[in-house]
Amino acid sequence: MSKNIIPVGPFHPLLEEAEYFTLKVDGEKVIGIDLDIGWMHRGHEFISETKTFTQSIYLVERICGICSTSHPLACVHAIEDIDNIEIPIRARYIRTLIGELERIHSHLLWIGLAGHFIGYDTLWMWAWKYREPVLQMFEIISGNRNHYGMMRVGGVAKDVDPSSIPKLNNILDDIAIKMDMIAKAANDDPVLRSRLVGVGVLSHEDAVRFCAVGPTSRASGIPADVRKDDPGDAYDLVEFNTIVLKNGDVYDKLVVRVLETLESIKIVRQCLDKLKNINGPILNNVKEISPGEGIGRYEAPRGEVFHYIRSDGSNRPVRHKVRAPSYVNIPTFEASCIGIPIADALITLAAVDPCYCCTERSIKIVDSSRQPTRIDLLKISRDKTDYLRRQINGN
Amino acid sequence: MDNVENFISLHNTKISKLIKKKKRFYFDVKNDDVREIADYLFNKIGCRLSTATAQETYNGIEVLYHFSHDESGQYFCPRVVITDKKNPEMNSITPIVKGAEWIEREMYDLWGINFVGHPRLELLLTKDNPAGIKQPLRFRRES
Repeated sequence: MSKNIIPVGPFHPLLEEAEYFTLKVDGEKVIGIDLDIGWMHRGHEFISETKTFTQSIYLVERICGICSTSHPLACVHAIEDIDNIEIPIRARYIRTLIGELERIHSHLLWIGLAGHFIGYDTLWMWAWKYREPVLQMFEIISGNRNHYGMMRVGGVAKDVDPSSIPKLNNILDDIAIKMDMIAKAANDDPVLRSRLVGVGVLSHEDAVRFCAVGPTSRASGIPADVRKDDPGDAYDLVEFNTIVLKNGDVYDKLVVRVLETLESIKIVRQCLDKLKNINGPILNNVKEISPGEGIGRYEAPRGEVFHYIRSDGSNRPVRHKVRAPSYVNIPTFEASCIGIPIADALITLAAVDPCYCCTERSIKIVDSSRQPTRIDLLKISRDKTDYLRRQINGN
Repeated sequence: MDNVENFISLHNTKISKLIKKKKRFYFDVKNDDVREIADYLFNKIGCRLSTATAQETYNGIEVLYHFSHDESGQYFCPRVVITDKKNPEMNSITPIVKGAEWIEREMYDLWGINFVGHPRLELLLTKDNPAGIKQPLRFRRES
């Protein structure tokens, strides 16, 4: 059978960050994958060195539109690490509240997209519908649905209005009910199980070898979570569980995210309770940053966000290194995509949750006679789910 | 004895300029020893490579690896200073830590550091911009 090459990207609807994958296929089976990035290299690290520390926080907030508070949070952690700056207790709870709400809406976004890719449009519509109230909570807290502008060195920029807490609690109660329903649906549905169990397995050894982070590594049995390992903000003051599963397939990655969302709801509830009772300042006045170097990290929805900042005592960083979680998770495709059918490649590529965008897809098969023919990867994936559904339902 | 003290006692002849902070440990290593140190951190005590940071200073080009010991939340950061700025070269740790493949390619791309022993030393970010500035983050840019 002839070997074909399927180029996916560089501007592929699945991948906001415009990676370019070359899938080598033998018949239906993927036998090789080559990854290519750099299509959206925007020079944030260099630009940051020309900005003041406070301006850098706003700059890094624009790196990602979905987890837009993870980068600023890691950035302020790095700056605070240089001087061991203390944060007021109320600000610590507000930071944790914002971070966890972001995890809820980011995971819901992924759950919806994953449902769409495998032909589960009900799950997609549910998840995105129930994501909307989370954005409304952000609007109540910060005034913005995205890019909240809350982080500052030494605390947060805006306080949470105590009179809004009952309303936030009500919205959270609704989200919790709906999340329980999605968790139950994911657990009970035979089609979802047969479609995702054993697909795109990333073994524990490969996850260690590729230094994977976040839900991608936790679904492969690595119990790494920055919130537990190196707790900043209020993570050592709230109770939650780290979700770790063993199989490393797409189903486990789905379950990790669903269960993590339930844990996040628990954390948000604890933060709101504390914010009713704890009063005090929300920002320590930091006048200057000493010469030195600092490392800041935060467990973003996709895994560990890493920032390294070196200061020479002026008002701007001399070096600002940024590493997003997708940067270490995307190379794991070399381990998880080999040997699987093309119909499963789409959901496997999506399973590490690389940042998405919503433009139209364009995929071409280049065959041996160099005559390009168009195929729809989404259709192949959804057809497989339909086939399984028919088999399970017996018609 | 904690991880850091244990590490120092085992490698005290190979590390210098130690900076110890809360859960952060920075130290200098020589180019010849970087693989041994990476092997110890990654394979012996189970650290994960977060990433690496390159920076050009007046003394040379620094490459700072960030190894995270997730069980304790401790960072080990070995730093290699390459003094030959014209032909910067150092040993790659990718044969030991697969996760270093992309970041070493990125440093090769943006700083021009030649990583000896890297299995696939190609440009990562500016490959499709042949007319652009080469090694854009160096002090003196070559056009």
